[in-house]
Amino acid sequence: MTTVLLGQADELFAALAEPNRRLILERLGTHGGATATTLAGDLPVTRQAVTQHLAVLESVDLVSSAKSGRERRYTVHVEPLTAAASWMNQVATQWDTRLAAIKALAEAPLPSRPTPKEKP
Amino acid sequence: MEQDRVERTVHIAATTQRVWEILTTPEHIGRWFGSGTPATVDLRPDGVMVLEPAHGERYLTRVVKADPPHYFAYRWASAHPDVLADDTNSTLVEFYITADGDGTRLKVCESGFASLTIPAGRERFASYESHSQGWTDVLQGIAEYSETAAEHGTS
Repeated sequence: MTTVLLGQADELFAALAEPNRRLILERLGTHGGATATTLAGDLPVTRQAVTQHLAVLESVDLVSSAKSGRERRYTVHVEPLTAAASWMNQVATQWDTRLAAIKALAEAPLPSRPTPKEKP
Repeated sequence: MEQDRVERTVHIAATTQRVWEILTTPEHIGRWFGSGTPATVDLRPDGVMVLEPAHGERYLTRVVKADPPHYFAYRWASAHPDVLADDTNSTLVEFYITADGDGTRLKVCESGFASLTIPAGRERFASYESHSQGWTDVLQGIAEYSETAAEHGTS
């Protein structure tokens, strides 16, 4: 339902609102996965900051991680991103449906009145 | 914030007055936005309009402005059923009704998605400071990016 979708999108938007987090996602996509250290070498932020951003992204299921030697290796989840991207479209589609209903109602012939219109 | 919105337009073969009636009278609202039951509507500023899109689902929208037959605006807390819409929990829905030839051009704008307050408990994850890029751009970028990522076959 709309409510649930909005709730989910809300969290995603919050996670994606931070430019560095979007950069991290892009980098992860490009590399097909990376550790916090690799990412920090690539971005104008500290490794600690990268780790925090990754935690946020993981909390909304945008990335997942697995232990790789002494570090964790992060990979991107595409599904929530696709969902967020299509969400605005859904909102628009719902309005299309409502506007179509308004149009149909407005263009429908007015119900016949109890008294005839023209009576000399 | 220009892009933080959804905007749709439709042409209607009816007068602006007729479109206004459909938009704002209880029995009609109940049909275009609802399960069929007439809606409760108070068109005064800050008046409450109750929308019931489905059985057991109820939204207490708050009227911002009703300027017949040209402009109708209300706030809608679509993530919070049964809670009265205010400036922090809702989006702004605006209808623009303009004469267009023999008929009417009806435009709807829903805006303010990016400034929605995050539900309690989520605050520490939230940062809504950086909206300058606009949500359409962000989502556009995400969509393109998603396709790229999909090609990489991350698992």
